[in-house]
Amino acid sequence: MDKKILIITGDMIGLSKEQIDYPDIEILKFPVIVNDKEYRESNEYTAQWLNEKYLKEKVVAKSSSIVKGELIEIVEKNKDKYDLIIHVFMSSVMSAATFAIAKNVMEMYENTIPIINIDSRQVMAGIGNVLLGVIDVIKKNDNMDDIVKLSQEVVQNTFSYYVMADLNYLYRGGRIGKAKALMGSVLHIIPIIGLMGDDEEGQFVPLGKGRTFKQVNSQIIDLIKAKMAEKQVTSIKSLNIVGFGDNNDAFFDFEEKLKTIPCDDFILGKADLVGAVHCGPKSYTVAITI
Amino acid sequence: MMQTENRTAVIRERIENIYKYLHRHKEYINRLNVFPVPDGDTGLNMTLTLQGALANMHNYEEESISTGEYLKNFAEQMLLNSRGCSGVILSLYCQGISQVIENNDFSKDNIFRALENGYKNAYEGTENPKEGTMLTLMREFKEKYGEIMKEDDDPSIIIKKCIPYLKEVLKKTPDMLPVLKQAGVVDSGGAGFLIILQGINRELNFNGSSLNSLPVSIIININKNIKKFLNGNFANFNKNSIADLLPSIDVEKLHNLRLRNIIEDVKHFINNLQSNGSRLLNKKAIINDLEDMKNSWNPEIKFKYCTEFVLETDKISSKEQIKKIIDGYGDSLIILSSGDKYKVHIHTNKPESVFKDVSKYGELIFTKVDDMKKQHRNLISDDTIDYEREKSVFCIVSGKGFAEILKKLGTDDVFCYGKNKPSVERIVKELNRLRTKNIIVAADDKDILMALKYAASLSKSNVNIVESNNVISLISMMMNISKELDITNTLESIMNSLDDIRFCGIARAVRDAVTEDGKKVNKNDFFTVYNGKIILSDKNIETLIINTIKKLIKEESLISLYKGIPARKEENLIPKLKKTFPDFEFEEYYGGQYQYNYYITFE
Repeated sequence: MDKKILIITGDMIGLSKEQIDYPDIEILKFPVIVNDKEYRESNEYTAQWLNEKYLKEKVVAKSSSIVKGELIEIVEKNKDKYDLIIHVFMSSVMSAATFAIAKNVMEMYENTIPIINIDSRQVMAGIGNVLLGVIDVIKKNDNMDDIVKLSQEVVQNTFSYYVMADLNYLYRGGRIGKAKALMGSVLHIIPIIGLMGDDEEGQFVPLGKGRTFKQVNSQIIDLIKAKMAEKQVTSIKSLNIVGFGDNNDAFFDFEEKLKTIPCDDFILGKADLVGAVHCGPKSYTVAITI
Repeated sequence: MMQTENRTAVIRERIENIYKYLHRHKEYINRLNVFPVPDGDTGLNMTLTLQGALANMHNYEEESISTGEYLKNFAEQMLLNSRGCSGVILSLYCQGISQVIENNDFSKDNIFRALENGYKNAYEGTENPKEGTMLTLMREFKEKYGEIMKEDDDPSIIIKKCIPYLKEVLKKTPDMLPVLKQAGVVDSGGAGFLIILQGINRELNFNGSSLNSLPVSIIININKNIKKFLNGNFANFNKNSIADLLPSIDVEKLHNLRLRNIIEDVKHFINNLQSNGSRLLNKKAIINDLEDMKNSWNPEIKFKYCTEFVLETDKISSKEQIKKIIDGYGDSLIILSSGDKYKVHIHTNKPESVFKDVSKYGELIFTKVDDMKKQHRNLISDDTIDYEREKSVFCIVSGKGFAEILKKLGTDDVFCYGKNKPSVERIVKELNRLRTKNIIVAADDKDILMALKYAASLSKSNVNIVESNNVISLISMMMNISKELDITNTLESIMNSLDDIRFCGIARAVRDAVTEDGKKVNKNDFFTVYNGKIILSDKNIETLIINTIKKLIKEESLISLYKGIPARKEENLIPKLKKTFPDFEFEEYYGGQYQYNYYITFE
């Protein structure tokens, strides 16, 4: 890689900064609103902090799009130090505002520095997987067209699965999509929803449901194996598993089951504050790139 | 000859008397139940089958039809109105008999042939026919009849002489079916059959009359032959079989208005052709009408037979091998494997060839073939359907609570039939009401399965029947269904998941019984049924539930109680159960089932 490339992304990637093997990265923090007060993720305000508030205080939390001024500030600060900026952001269907801001900033700087916007079609750990895939791409390629093409392949080959203990958290955030079909059951069910990189609609789809966490864990393993068979691969390039707490047995069972799937890079990711807003306690997720 | 109105009135009166005789014995038949719960409804189902058929015979009573034809129509109505396995098997038997005596030959030989055909029709129409059931009595009846007819000429005498022998056969049914022996009862269907026979014996008085109507089999061919004729060049009109056939068709006797109109059009067309060669009526329009009539009910089915088999083999090691062997025979192929057994589902026009090919590799331990078209029925239907949906998952359940649960789990359509099982006709109405091209249907009771299959053959949709036999398997099915899948993959997913949830039922004994290990269950005690066997009992329902959980729980972590109508007012047991079993999660729901206080599931 001869070009100097800066990567910008948000802080909803299911990864800590230490888990990203790339020095030139800027992470924007999404605003999180809890009972009408704004917070940003910090050592104090974490996913665990929000979960406790959810459980004890029954708070209502939301997240909003990245702040345009903050994105401009990062570009402005780095425009002369880099040859190219790549912005990896959350699914444009999930946050049209983030997409619009990214597009607007790219156009603002089109005569100053080239910016490639990559719509990950994902949220949370799924964005993290796309980010890691894009880093692999730029480590081996300089050409912008190649980077765009190969990054798009990463997006299309990234799939994320979510075990949501309570879909209401996602529903309140307005991001439930087709997964709404799984709400309102008389039986207590644990839904499995997913974001499929090869689905251009880019919204959550219902993938299954179970009555116990062990059942849904096994179902996700089957879904991943089916996806691998469909894509004719015998091994996963990277897998990132993130738990949002308060459900250790189920998460451990999930982790053990996932370890039975051949994988080049198995990552135990980080639960971030924004993810916790939409998942709620006891939820967990896995993203794979194949 | 008897005046027509008088004749049909007499036949009707006799059938009504037989029905009343059966009705009087209904409760006795109902009580012959394998489990000591009051859900025995064989007597009710047989009675309702006759009742429904009688109620629908008014249309035929003003027509000048023969006795044979009246009985044939009655048998058809029985099939339409049949409920439960017993109702369907009885209807099939009557249908087989009526196919032979349609010719109004009531001689002892022809009646023997009718009894043979009735048995054959019922036996072949029954899945997994077993000894010790109504079928055994039907077979023994025709054999005894054959024996006695060598000495007697009067069929009514022969039938009368068969009855004592059949009573003995009925008494032996517990020796043929262990489940009857354990319950200490004779077969309820067999008992019902014998009561009908006694009713017939009371009423029997034969009356010969000539055949003057058009058999349904000819109606089926009319469509085909007319089309063939119209597609020809008319050069050899007089040599064409249609030339002979058409004048003999009395259109007034065709109940199907569409076919009647078409035949009248064809007659006009031929008249014009013979008189001046002009073709005033549009030949193409008539052909289109015929095509439309043939195709309207079920245009999608390419392969006629829904075929299933289980192959036990040590020569095949993968599903792919089986796929290679039979893939060319049809579509909708589903293959499931477990050890050296392969369960296969395929839609094909050559089920026998499929069986022949796969049997080279091992032993066929189960086969099943369902006719998906049943053209002889659908061709005589007037209805057409405008599909509004591509696919529907449709559940037929008894309990209101379960109906609600299934709806919320994503079932597209639910028919809650309440206490009495639905007739074939009712199921057909429900299926057609959906206006859906492809329907996946499952019922909560195996006793509905046969009626469902006949209803499916009469429906205008492509109906895929899931062979479920309890409501918990419907929940299991809905937990695993994905709306994104196509019909074949959805069916595969259902077949894989039907038995995923282990469960048992808790009910109160209405008579003394015994558990599988020989312990006595007193009347009014509660008992647990698991995998079709009584495994435990107790005077106290809480104690029984606790003991049941202790006995049945394995690796599961979630125990759910589905409360039925008998337990509707009982207190919530969950707090007590949580105290006894602190390591497990408990949930309670209202199922609304009629006989079982609780269903308990282990997940």
